[in-house]
Amino acid sequence: MNIMEIQNVQYAYDGKKKVLKGINTQMEQGKMYAILGPSGCGKTTLLSLLGGLDSPTSGQILYQGEDIAKTGLADHRRSHVAFIFQSYNLIDYLTPMENVALTSKLPPLPILEQLGLTAEEAKRNVLKLSGGQQQRVAIARALASDAQVILADEPTGNLDEDTAAEITAILKESAHKSGKCVVIVTHSNELAKEADVILQLRRGELQTLSVSDLEETASQKRRASQKNQR
Amino acid sequence: MNLGTRAVLYTVRKWKKTLLVFCLLLAITTLVLSGLAIADAQEKQAEEVRGTTGASFTVSRNTATGGWSSDGGGSYSTQEYLTTDRMESIAAINGIEGYNASIRTILCLSDRQGQWLEQMEPTGHAIVDCQFYSYGCINSKYHSLFLSGAMVMCEGKTIDSSVKNGIVISKDIADKHDLKVGDTIQAVNNPLSDDKTMNLEIVGLFEVVADKTDERNNYNESSYYEYTNNAFVSEAAMKKLLENYADVGYASADFFVTDPERLESIIHEVQKIHTIDWNNFLITANDEVYQNISNALSDTGTLITTLIAVITAVSMVLIILILSMSVRGRKRETGILLAAGISKPTVVLQYVLETLLIAAAAFPLAYLSSRQAAGILGTLFGKTAENVVVTSQHFTLTATVGSVLLIASVLVSCIPVMRLKPKTILSQME
Repeated sequence: MNIMEIQNVQYAYDGKKKVLKGINTQMEQGKMYAILGPSGCGKTTLLSLLGGLDSPTSGQILYQGEDIAKTGLADHRRSHVAFIFQSYNLIDYLTPMENVALTSKLPPLPILEQLGLTAEEAKRNVLKLSGGQQQRVAIARALASDAQVILADEPTGNLDEDTAAEITAILKESAHKSGKCVVIVTHSNELAKEADVILQLRRGELQTLSVSDLEETASQKRRASQKNQR
Repeated sequence: MNLGTRAVLYTVRKWKKTLLVFCLLLAITTLVLSGLAIADAQEKQAEEVRGTTGASFTVSRNTATGGWSSDGGGSYSTQEYLTTDRMESIAAINGIEGYNASIRTILCLSDRQGQWLEQMEPTGHAIVDCQFYSYGCINSKYHSLFLSGAMVMCEGKTIDSSVKNGIVISKDIADKHDLKVGDTIQAVNNPLSDDKTMNLEIVGLFEVVADKTDERNNYNESSYYEYTNNAFVSEAAMKKLLENYADVGYASADFFVTDPERLESIIHEVQKIHTIDWNNFLITANDEVYQNISNALSDTGTLITTLIAVITAVSMVLIILILSMSVRGRKRETGILLAAGISKPTVVLQYVLETLLIAAAAFPLAYLSSRQAAGILGTLFGKTAENVVVTSQHFTLTATVGSVLLIASVLVSCIPVMRLKPKTILSQME
């Protein structure tokens, strides 16, 4: 079932430099989406538009068929979406439990424990946790909210491989078991491969890739890189 | 988690920032409260000065506009005199607390047995030694001899309109003749004529304070002007004593105002009395002493007011700077809260609440500290510590205005960050 729809969305910085050139796509509940693309291609901008952090220059973003610009961006952010950032973005004077309670009325400890934090860690200052633990808190905050859409910007960018794999698994589980729509912006092909749908943003346009397309692109890049090295 | 909980947690856990703002607010509020207390003490002092220095105006015949006549005694002005009606119509003006006019004559005083009283330093001539320089007064407390401090009442009361046949004499004369307040003596204007002799009750005694060398009080050694030989008689009695002579009225009268600051406006009101022909009378303001003191007080008052204004303004700039830096330092937090769907007004309200929480602790403590500091600071402005009191009204005023200014400061500090879109804030953070 479609939960979000992007209709002919265009976006230009300062009204001049066009980074998104009429994007159309639909996103369903219970699926994990990965958006790939080179740096500066507009991935994070697209995620911001989906999350109501910014407004498109033209076009519409629909949540359950309703234009979020009309229902209110703040309301969209509060009720429909939850963000996970590369730099975690936790509030530094709150404990993990309090950070989770920021957007949720549910008891935070069970969710944090589910994501691998101990009760003692859940009461520490967030800055005293490792990067992986902080990202778990950020994910717990997103999952604890009522939001049906989780928007993650490079969620594993600052993490080691093992931790990144664990975080990816958690996000995948959120989509498949909790029925959330998870949209991840990433550079990582490994993470993208785990997604149900892989989208590539290139020259302002969005196209769907299969895993084999992704592997082909990756091998082409490797060959080009080796050639250059010789 | 609601904004109240967030505000409390921030205030407690970011205790270094909290302490900085707290100390600043404590210092500023203490200074402002002390300033208000000093300003009040200044105002009180000014009021006291108004009360003690007093001010008056004199209404006198304008001999320049009247005609002149002459007889065997010499030339004299035919200008009209001040009558009781005229004086009463002036005294009825709001702001005039009393007035006095005097009829001067020399009375011969004797005890009830008809034995002449003797001046303090008799000459040996009974007819001269019984003569006392006397004033028929409407209100003797306004007589220049009392106002100048040459004399003070030491027993009984002064002469006013309620005293019909009363006399005030010096304590020295009373003691010399074994007289006291309540005794009756006799007075006559000229014992060699058929002038009326009247019984007068001693209603009060005065003491002479002026020194014989006191030029200010025009004290000289001639027996008539020897102050101990002066007497003050009620106006009604004096008129009876002088009934053989024409009652022309008074050449001048002094009117005393309750508030010297209003002297000018009262004189203006007096000049509007249409039953008096102001072409025939002059009005002279007597407020030189008050004006001199008032100007000095006014200068100090202006200095204190300016200091309070400067302290408040500089403090507010400082507070706005600190709060601006704090809000700018919290850009990340603002972005996170906005991304979490918390509205901008709610975020601002949290910042306002945090500042007010600090103020709620700083203001009462400043009230206590200012009670100590105000006295010390007051001495710098020439006030005695006991007179500089920080009141609950000062606290209420400072707390109310301070809270409003703090709210305004937080709002101003938030403007640059709040004008940004959430995405801009977050991208700046990244």
